[in-house]
Amino acid sequence: MSLFVFRNNTVERFFPKDYTFSGYDDISVIPADVNGYVWFYQAPVGHSRETSIEEIQGYQQKFDFVLSRTDANKTVIALTMEEIYALPLTDDDHAVRRAIWQYNAALFEAEKNHANLKVIDYSQFTRNYPATDLLDWKFYFISQMGINPKLTKDFQAWWQRKVDSIALKRKKCIVLDLDNTLWGGVLGEDGISGIKIGGDYPGKAFAFFQKSLLQLSQAGVILTVCSKNNETDVLEAWEKNPFMVLKKEHFAAYRINWTDKATNIRELAEELNIGLDSFVFIDDNPTERELIRQMLPMVSVPEFPTQPYELPVFFKKLVEDYFKVYSITEEDKKKTEQYKANAARVQAQHSFSDFSAFLESLDIQITIEAANEFNIPRIAQMTQKTNQFNLTTKRYTDADVKDFLSNGWKIWCVSVADRFGDNGITGCIMINGDEIDTFLLSCRILGKGIEKAFIKKVMALLKEDGIVSLKAAYQPTAKNAQVADFYDRCGFTCVTENADGSKNYVLDLNAADLEIEKYYHINLK
Amino acid sequence: MEEKVLEILKNVFELDTVDTTCSQQTCEKWDSMGQLNLVVELESEFDISLEPEEIGEMTSFQDIIRILNDKGIKNE
Repeated sequence: MSLFVFRNNTVERFFPKDYTFSGYDDISVIPADVNGYVWFYQAPVGHSRETSIEEIQGYQQKFDFVLSRTDANKTVIALTMEEIYALPLTDDDHAVRRAIWQYNAALFEAEKNHANLKVIDYSQFTRNYPATDLLDWKFYFISQMGINPKLTKDFQAWWQRKVDSIALKRKKCIVLDLDNTLWGGVLGEDGISGIKIGGDYPGKAFAFFQKSLLQLSQAGVILTVCSKNNETDVLEAWEKNPFMVLKKEHFAAYRINWTDKATNIRELAEELNIGLDSFVFIDDNPTERELIRQMLPMVSVPEFPTQPYELPVFFKKLVEDYFKVYSITEEDKKKTEQYKANAARVQAQHSFSDFSAFLESLDIQITIEAANEFNIPRIAQMTQKTNQFNLTTKRYTDADVKDFLSNGWKIWCVSVADRFGDNGITGCIMINGDEIDTFLLSCRILGKGIEKAFIKKVMALLKEDGIVSLKAAYQPTAKNAQVADFYDRCGFTCVTENADGSKNYVLDLNAADLEIEKYYHINLK
Repeated sequence: MEEKVLEILKNVFELDTVDTTCSQQTCEKWDSMGQLNLVVELESEFDISLEPEEIGEMTSFQDIIRILNDKGIKNE
């Protein structure tokens, strides 16, 4: 992603090498051959209050100008403004601060009307440092740097996290230990009413931590438990301890037993159909942490604080490092319910010997909907996050998807519901001309033949549109082996197979089998 | 110490090879932005603060060595 940075100070060294930069406070050139733009204007450090205020207001107008002239399909990331060198001579002089507030308020206001604008609060970075560390006047005078160059590594790391957050990259699932992690003390020894949760310190700190985790789960992060305890003790504690915030229903799955935690976490990953690299493991016991680091190196394992009063700081860092995203969708908020319903489906499947009888009993409702302004964020998000059932694994932004639509692509998303619950939008297909560019489904809905029903319906729609020969491709990645022969199974003919394992296919729609089993109830919107 | 300076020059200016003749004249990426990056690296490596005057006259490997020597940093 090469971005073009509009700036008024020397900032080159803080951004990735492939970024390009405007002249100082120069908006005369808005290059078109970049992936997106960054707006990073820093507060002026002049002596005259009036001049500073005018400059800030001027920056705001320049920003509006640039925003109005950038391609609405390209992301613009704007950083808010922070005072660099505040020197009002009287304490009742807030004029420059007020101008900065207005500048920032204008950015936030613009964000409401421009889907491609993402405003990043620069104070998230600056507030970690005292003013004397943030600016080195030597470098300001010799190179016009508004940030101390010694903070380069910190800024780069922070910036990368912000870019990831805009791309909606984050971990999906937390595995939690119980004793001395979610509450103080050991349940097996201290008993249901003896463990420290709620009430005075340290129970107060653990309750704070549980409430924080609950909030995170409501934002779509899956909570699970992996703990060495007697399961019956824990179930009783969840049910009977009145101060418990996180109870059984908040966890999508759990392993409470004496098996080693690496084996348990592997099982959780399979049960929930989430890749291990999307897991974060939280345990107060350094030996358990080390075990997971060694046995499952793809799982993230943060250090755990030694004192309960450090939990709020720990939680904040946890969110910053693994779970911060720019925004979340409605689907995200329902995650835990969906993953739990999935587990229930797996249970139900066991009671049917005939698979199609099982499918019929599910009352599967498949809704196919053309891309529109409401589902585009979700479609882009799925291209970013779906790894396993993803034929080409092309990552796209909201802006990309809009761009494709305006170039005549046909894009549909699919949502699936059954008698156990509504999974929401969990798959999409993008057709560029007569070729399938992207086809993906969330793993949550696999195992019910949805993929075939969906693609057959889309084929029928394309056939109605007059397409005869449909092209498709499979591009192998480390994670999508399960779909290597998907197009073969759908009746496509493989025309080329390349050295890297990628394959190209073609299908004659007039000869293709487009019959869909009756137990899939398909609604077209 | 000279070894470390050469290493820094090599990294900052992304050179394949570097020797003691390295200077602003011979090195394409040694522009004002490169100078700034060089200063930051030298300051953190040797735990010193370079004065603007020193930065201004620092245009070659030999200049760097002279300035570091003046600050009491010698070859081991």
